[in-house]
Amino acid sequence: MNLFEQFANWKFYILGAYPNGPLGGLFLNVSLAIVSIIIGLIIGIFFGLGRASCRRYIKYPSVLYIENIRSTPLLMIVFWFYFFLPVLGFHLPLFWSAVIPLSIYAGAYQAEIVRAGFLAVPRGQMDAALSTGMSRWQALLFVVMPQAFKMMVPSFVSFFNSQFKNTSVVYIIGIVELTQAGIIVSQRQPDRIYAAYICMALGFWIVCYTMSHFAQRLERKLGILDYESYKPEICREDLLLIPIPKAVKKVLISHK
Amino acid sequence: MSLCVGTALAVMRLSRFWFLRIPAKFYVETVRNIPGLFWLLFFYFVFPELLPFGLREKLHGYAYYSVIAGILGLSLDNSAYVSDIVRTGLMAVPRGHVEAAVSTGLNRFQQFRYIILPEAFRIILPPLGTRMIHNFKNTSLCMVITAPELTWATQQVESITFRGLEVTFMATVFYLFVAFTAARIIIRYEKVLKIDVASVRRAGT
Repeated sequence: MNLFEQFANWKFYILGAYPNGPLGGLFLNVSLAIVSIIIGLIIGIFFGLGRASCRRYIKYPSVLYIENIRSTPLLMIVFWFYFFLPVLGFHLPLFWSAVIPLSIYAGAYQAEIVRAGFLAVPRGQMDAALSTGMSRWQALLFVVMPQAFKMMVPSFVSFFNSQFKNTSVVYIIGIVELTQAGIIVSQRQPDRIYAAYICMALGFWIVCYTMSHFAQRLERKLGILDYESYKPEICREDLLLIPIPKAVKKVLISHK
Repeated sequence: MSLCVGTALAVMRLSRFWFLRIPAKFYVETVRNIPGLFWLLFFYFVFPELLPFGLREKLHGYAYYSVIAGILGLSLDNSAYVSDIVRTGLMAVPRGHVEAAVSTGLNRFQQFRYIILPEAFRIILPPLGTRMIHNFKNTSLCMVITAPELTWATQQVESITFRGLEVTFMATVFYLFVAFTAARIIIRYEKVLKIDVASVRRAGT
């Protein structure tokens, strides 16, 4: 048993059948994770701020989305999109039918991160920005958002980790990413089974380990969250860019 | 299972002996950085190959080996996370309480059994509950190693009846129901057992 021969197809684990076929392997895992997190961030900002709202008709739909997605296994969401979009008449390329469920799943988790980040920005910041004559849009963009994102960065990095690990699930719909690559090799060449599994483990391990160390360092560098005084409010109306209807305004003022 | 292993690992990691600390750290870092799916596949396909021949034949003959592999894989994956959670809980126990326990004459084991672990578990209940729900969701991955669980059953029914939409809908409803119920129960217990961590810490320092 030649050790080098065992690992001779290392390129397959990293790039899949790339020059002769579609991109795959570890590279696909990373790109799936990145794309789904970017789309998930957009969904997350939308629903996270929605959940932070005090208005019930904005809050409850976002709660419904977040809670439902969070308590369904990712595998179920993948099945929904892979098997039942064709039934409804949509046909997606394989990559996108993996990305969409992943980003919907990521969106629910990121919504919670976004909500926590935005609610952790003290209310006074927004008031101060408004009193300097900024519009609400400007205040949100230039004052609140940078602070909120600074607080969210560590959780985003650690979320990237778990999302990256979640991408191994989509091998079930036949995408040749790292897990699938390992399974293919171990089934075609049973004598390479150990090498295949070692390569799978190593691929995931290297990426996750570097990312988690990066996250730790970032946390130490940014270390801003003071947990003792951290008491986020339940809801905030000023974070939303939607104009507040007069009827709601009356209720809010009368509450005060 | 993962709860026991996780707690043991956490205690190991906080030990003052390096030969306990380093293996535990190694274990946690390795397991946490590799997806649970890998561990399931590993226990199902590779683990029997590592065993001596007679035992391997027995395992292959055993109809429920997939279930055993699922349990092993999931508890391995979960134990690493649990150990991290328990570790933070142990560290959050104020030093004064431990010193008080020492001064009342409890030995090392009694300290852990009666003072430190109960307090730690009350502190970590919320993240632990989240982790348990997460683990419940991860059981759906056991489908890939043909363990006869809900998702697998769904696929079987679908392949017989071709009514994928209805079947998957039902499976989703089941998952939602169990996860929601578990979450409700955990929130309830949180309220019962709640400790104001900040005040404890202030009292401790």
